[in-house]
Amino acid sequence: MLKTINQRVSIILLLLAIGYLYLSYQLPSFAYTNVDADVLPKALGWLLAVLSIALFFSKDSETEEQKARRDIPRKDLGMIAIVFLLILGYIFLFEFLGFILVTLLFIFFSSLILGYKNYITNGIVSVLFPVILYFAFTEFLQINLPQGILPF
Amino acid sequence: MKKFLLLLSFSFVLILAACGGDNGGDGGDEGGDDGEAAGEDGEETAWEPEQSIEFVAPAGAGGGWDTTARMTAQVFNEEGIIEEDIGVINREGGGGAVGWSYIAGQDGSNHHMFVGSPPLLLVPLNGQAEQTYEDFTPIANLIADYAAFAVRADAEWDTMDELFEDMREDPSSVTVVGTSSPGSMDHIQFVQIADAADVDITEIRYVSDQEGGALTQLLNGSVDVFSTGVAETIEQVRAGEIKVLGVTSEERLEGEVLEDFPTMIEQGIDSTFINWRGFFGPPNMDEEAVTYYQEKFRELSDSEAFGEIRDQYGWNEMYMEGEEYQNFLEEQNSEMEALLNELGLGEGE
Amino acid sequence: MGSIEGIITGFQTAFSLQGILFVSIGVLVGTIIGMLPGLGPITAIAVMIPVTFGMDPSSALIMMAGVYYGAVFGGSTSSILLNAPGISGTVATAFDGYPMAQRGEAGKALAIAAIASFVGGTVSVFLLMALAPALSSVAVSFGPPAYFALMFMGLTAISSLSEGSTLKALISAVVGFMVATIGIDGQSGTPRFTFGNSNLMEGLDFLVIALGLFALAEVTTLIINRKDSSMSKNKELGSLRLSKNDLNEMKGPVTRQSFLGFIIGVLPGAGATIASFISYIMEKRLAKNPEEFGKGSIKGLAAPESSNNAATSGAFVPLLSLGIPGSGTTAVMLGAFLVLGIQPGPLLMTDRPEIFWGIIASMYIGNIFLLILNLPLIPYFAKILQIPRPLLISLVIMFSMIGVYSISFNTFDLYMLLLFGVVGFLMRLFAFPAPPFILAFILGGMMEQSFRQSLTISNGDLMIFINDPIALSLIIVALLTFVFPIIKQIRAKKR
Repeated sequence: MLKTINQRVSIILLLLAIGYLYLSYQLPSFAYTNVDADVLPKALGWLLAVLSIALFFSKDSETEEQKARRDIPRKDLGMIAIVFLLILGYIFLFEFLGFILVTLLFIFFSSLILGYKNYITNGIVSVLFPVILYFAFTEFLQINLPQGILPF
Repeated sequence: MKKFLLLLSFSFVLILAACGGDNGGDGGDEGGDDGEAAGEDGEETAWEPEQSIEFVAPAGAGGGWDTTARMTAQVFNEEGIIEEDIGVINREGGGGAVGWSYIAGQDGSNHHMFVGSPPLLLVPLNGQAEQTYEDFTPIANLIADYAAFAVRADAEWDTMDELFEDMREDPSSVTVVGTSSPGSMDHIQFVQIADAADVDITEIRYVSDQEGGALTQLLNGSVDVFSTGVAETIEQVRAGEIKVLGVTSEERLEGEVLEDFPTMIEQGIDSTFINWRGFFGPPNMDEEAVTYYQEKFRELSDSEAFGEIRDQYGWNEMYMEGEEYQNFLEEQNSEMEALLNELGLGEGE
Repeated sequence: MGSIEGIITGFQTAFSLQGILFVSIGVLVGTIIGMLPGLGPITAIAVMIPVTFGMDPSSALIMMAGVYYGAVFGGSTSSILLNAPGISGTVATAFDGYPMAQRGEAGKALAIAAIASFVGGTVSVFLLMALAPALSSVAVSFGPPAYFALMFMGLTAISSLSEGSTLKALISAVVGFMVATIGIDGQSGTPRFTFGNSNLMEGLDFLVIALGLFALAEVTTLIINRKDSSMSKNKELGSLRLSKNDLNEMKGPVTRQSFLGFIIGVLPGAGATIASFISYIMEKRLAKNPEEFGKGSIKGLAAPESSNNAATSGAFVPLLSLGIPGSGTTAVMLGAFLVLGIQPGPLLMTDRPEIFWGIIASMYIGNIFLLILNLPLIPYFAKILQIPRPLLISLVIMFSMIGVYSISFNTFDLYMLLLFGVVGFLMRLFAFPAPPFILAFILGGMMEQSFRQSLTISNGDLMIFINDPIALSLIIVALLTFVFPIIKQIRAKKR
């Protein structure tokens, strides 16, 4: 049934459209405008539904180039997942550990995992980058970055 | 296909994390402050700040809240009224709601406060914020600003009464423009005055232009009335492009051009609207700390340096603290609530 | 009128030792802050406001103006090198600038951007000087129906922003439009799709979307090619050399788009973003080889760059001559004026000619400074691409994070950034183009608001769009440009 990749994607888009439409129909009405807040969302929801159905039946298959782009080695995909998980951890610890510490850790470990073998340069950059930026931001630009558990 | 399922579930986890993450972050901050504050409790000497103080402007740079916070912090530090550093940070979003919930998360802290004004009452009343003004500790009110209603210089109306005369006949014949969304300040200040003038306020047509085009819309004739702050009208009046039909202060304002604007009261409409601005602390701020800050704000308000700032921005002195401020807020809040309910915008509807 | 005298006073102010000093400080600070990914003119101006306390107003404002256009000038660097646009005005710059840099022509791309920016900036200052007083009436000539039509015209260009499937481009745009509907609705105050979360009330910030869909998604490609070290061996990377051919190719787009960008910039609310998109699309339509657009075309880079800088000067028309801030940035700029006790407005030109004309005249100097400041630095900037890939990837991610955090100081936005990074990656996998998404996100919100404002004003009568001559002509142009390529396609098929 779901032969092409486009058909699978179109099902997901259709579900998105349905969810969005469901929420659009829940929007409360407001007496003081001629076109209420729900009009455009409803139109967009229906439009996406129609377009995703069109995508389901559309004949234009992918070019070879596009197919090749999706053909990512499992290892690289794993690497992308790891980096994104690192980012997630970064955000989670951002305000707790503070900008300097968490950025230092992120740069060092993410570069390491990505295969950067020059530990000394890596160490220097991951210390200098956050420290310089932190002081540039807080002292010169007066933009406060989270200080976290460090005393400065 | 497995790969894609993995990615999809990953993005789902992300959404969940995003929804819960904010609380986690604030929780961490809060813990630190609590500890420090608790350690100093019970000492006999009067309270003084032990660390740098944070003023939150619950809006972006350049707006009224931001300017008030920055100017206040500047005068405090420059005049040496408060020795500890005062940092101003912007927590923008939700018409103030993001900044308020940040401060609410600093429960018990004596080193955080934010700038509040009528939207602190209006946004919660519209059901758009988790907190209400009652959740916070009012410290002191500093200044007052007033609303002005302007029309094009060649408009057929010369007084508020002429405008309302037409609106009493057909309220929807006039279009009002403002910068804030319906139910917030620019809308409500006009509605309040119109209500006092017996216009059917449920029929008023209000257009909101948040991209700063409200004045443009008045000048090019798209709309009829511009509901705004007094300061925004001065230049255009001097240039003869627009005329101000009325301002919402009790008595005439002082200053060139300003003194020519008639009040509502002298035009027979018994109503005023004050855009007050003051500082609020988190819930459960220590009483000693409140007393300390009130003293400092009083000193600030009386200082020459802050007087100059007031003149520069066209603000008026309006110092209030303690019970007086509390009563004022309650009174304002019930007035706003009644108006919103009449419009059918209240949270309860 | 005395306006000649005013201009002379202005030049005297700008060309005094003090004027030259402050304009150079301004553009230097602006261009540095603008280059940092995620930090744009708003931050730059806000940061400088406290510095100006107690300064003589004309020097202070000459400096602030320099900070503003300096930041726009510098903003293109991170777009070109890292695919990380720091301001919405440089999104279109990344479309062709980034591929060109990846091809190993980073120095050339930066040089083209710098020259196009310089010409755009200078031409528009000339227009500003000649026409500012007259243009104030143009600035207010657009009512809500005309704005709706302008946004509509921008949106119809979506089909031309994509390679490949038009259907996928449309889907991308619809989803982008949907994301724009998140937040409190301006016309009714109703929260939409916020799930009761106060962080979503104001809607999502442009930078969250742009850095997610462009920078973070590009990071995934960099990760896949992380072992590629061709850049580090490329000695030509930082070369500025432009051939005669290159210059010839730039000439047309730069001249046309400097004018167009300026005019769009004059309209409050439209600004550099819309100007750069419309310029990009227009050049693609005019080009003999439109298939090169998006792959590193010189025209595709020069057009948005001259246009966004011209629009920045254009934005000074409503600001100076009417006191109307047309964008978030000019609103902060207006704040800077007020702090110094200067009220911009219709009388500024006669009351304070040294300020009104001084700012404008100083822009000539500012633009020249920017050019001579930026050109020699280009080879060094280009070297950024020679940083070993693993380290570069980590740094790009960090810059995106800081950029987003410094707008809202809220980790919620960082989670959103990551989410849009994932979305951007998925879109790449399934060949959904990102430009229509971001265009619909930017234009969609304004288009909906102006549509509904119009109908509130007309009490629901759709004729308001036809009775407004500006709106009507823009809608006709939009429809023609939409229908024309389809007819061309059908004809081609018949043959």
